[in-house]
Amino acid sequence: MTGMNISKDLVAASATPIVLAILRRADSYGYAIIQKVREVSDDRLSWTDGMLYPVLHRLEDAGFVVSHWQVAESGRRRKYYRLTEAGRVELERLTEQWLVVHTALERLTDTAARSDRDV
Amino acid sequence: MFELESQVRKWRGHLRSSGSLGEDELEELESHLRDSIDDLTTRGVTTEEAFLVSIRRLGDTEALSNEFAKVTTESVWRQLLVPAPDESSRRRQRTEVMLVIGLALLAGLLGKIPALLGWGLDTDEPLVYVKNASLFALPSVAVYLIWKRSLPLRFIFLAAAVFIGAAVLINLYPSRSPYDTVLLTALHLFIALLLPLAILYGGPGWRKTGTRLDFVRFAGEVFIYSVLIGLGGAVLVAVSIQVFQFVDVDIENFVVNWAVIFGGFGLLVVAAYLVEWKKGRIETIAPVLARIFTPLLLVVLVSLLLAILITGQAPAEDRELLIWFDLLLALVLGMTLYTMSARDAEDPTGFWDAVVFALVVVALVVDAVALAGIASRVAEYGATPNRLAALGANVLLLVNLVFLGLGYGRFLLRRVRYQVIVDLQMRYLPVYAVWAALVVIVFPPLFGFR
Repeated sequence: MTGMNISKDLVAASATPIVLAILRRADSYGYAIIQKVREVSDDRLSWTDGMLYPVLHRLEDAGFVVSHWQVAESGRRRKYYRLTEAGRVELERLTEQWLVVHTALERLTDTAARSDRDV
Repeated sequence: MFELESQVRKWRGHLRSSGSLGEDELEELESHLRDSIDDLTTRGVTTEEAFLVSIRRLGDTEALSNEFAKVTTESVWRQLLVPAPDESSRRRQRTEVMLVIGLALLAGLLGKIPALLGWGLDTDEPLVYVKNASLFALPSVAVYLIWKRSLPLRFIFLAAAVFIGAAVLINLYPSRSPYDTVLLTALHLFIALLLPLAILYGGPGWRKTGTRLDFVRFAGEVFIYSVLIGLGGAVLVAVSIQVFQFVDVDIENFVVNWAVIFGGFGLLVVAAYLVEWKKGRIETIAPVLARIFTPLLLVVLVSLLLAILITGQAPAEDRELLIWFDLLLALVLGMTLYTMSARDAEDPTGFWDAVVFALVVVALVVDAVALAGIASRVAEYGATPNRLAALGANVLLLVNLVFLGLGYGRFLLRRVRYQVIVDLQMRYLPVYAVWAALVVIVFPPLFGFR
């Protein structure tokens, strides 16, 4: 909720691994996925809710997730998504890439911090 | 008072009209919206606020549909062209396409029967085609609906009885110059046969208002599709006849005797198939046309009234004019029906209801003038089939417009719900078919088959 705005590009780029990672824990539907993203990012990753669905459908087209309709106890129909094996592989690949970026950034900022101290 | 259901429907309609979201996506988004609203209201937010917040969170509809368009434009067309993933539905879709092609050919073959019996299009019996046109084109549509709805046997018997009965009757009736009753038969048979088609379209639930309204929508869309395909076909025919002339091959005979007959009579079943098939996938065009033409028609009618008032020329002076007046009024009714089919019955009164009300009232005045004209002609010169048919149609239209006018007036004053008007109108529609059937069955013998 603080003023920290994560750039649109970054949000878009991170959407796929985050959605896949959420689905690895359990099958889920759009609204719950959004709630989960809010929760794990302490409300700092804010998506426009609707934008999740094109992402999900793209993932489905690519074969990373499959979907099915299910009727909740409230009687409401919800579309659940499940991670496929291909999705699992993709998630691993993406996580690895993010880790590379993350490590590189960390090293650089660490060096920066150290050289700051050196001065 | 905030009406959540009607707001949600509106929002959904708005998204649908963008054209890039399928029913499945809409359903998913609606489910999300409702989850979000429930969540917020349990936290003590009013429904209205919850709705607004949830909509906002879902994002601007335009951006949303653009985003969806990127993923789905392709897949919308894929859904249209390639069978659905499920094996049994895939098989059914393949069967459907084959069936429709077969039925279109059947309509064409029916259209060739007169030629087999020695009445070509170029002979002196073109009236055989005119008279039987509905019986060539509509049985295919009936078979298609029976298959599509998997209707029980009694509907099949009904359809068979109606079409065979009609075919026997109108072809046993002789026709003599000046062929007035034949032309009336051609026109009225089509209208009369819409009733059995409506029954087949609705299946066992055909009496319900909603089902009838669906049929009206269906018929309107089939009409639009037929016109579009027909225009395309006509251009193609004209161009190919010309082009083949340059290589000294005369295909005109072949084209007229085969392409026009097969294309023309097969058109309706193909259009019916297209309407059924794309149902809900792409925004329907009828409401758009209704919005464009309702105000234009109002302008035409008001100008017509002014012209009559200023020139003092009563429309009865000209014989042809009465038929044109009928057509004009039928057009008003058609527009009202289109508007009705596109309108959510729960919506509050709005600008367009006032426009329709004005249209109906002006049409009523025009109709009163026309009716006076027709009645005086009948009194003066005795009844001819054309005059009597025009008179009958006019009385029916007048009754219809009176209660539409009263209904709309009371609705605008918030005395009745919109649904009341719809119910009344839908119950009245079969009256037209019954009258048309009367004209087909009773008029020829009444006027000595002239």
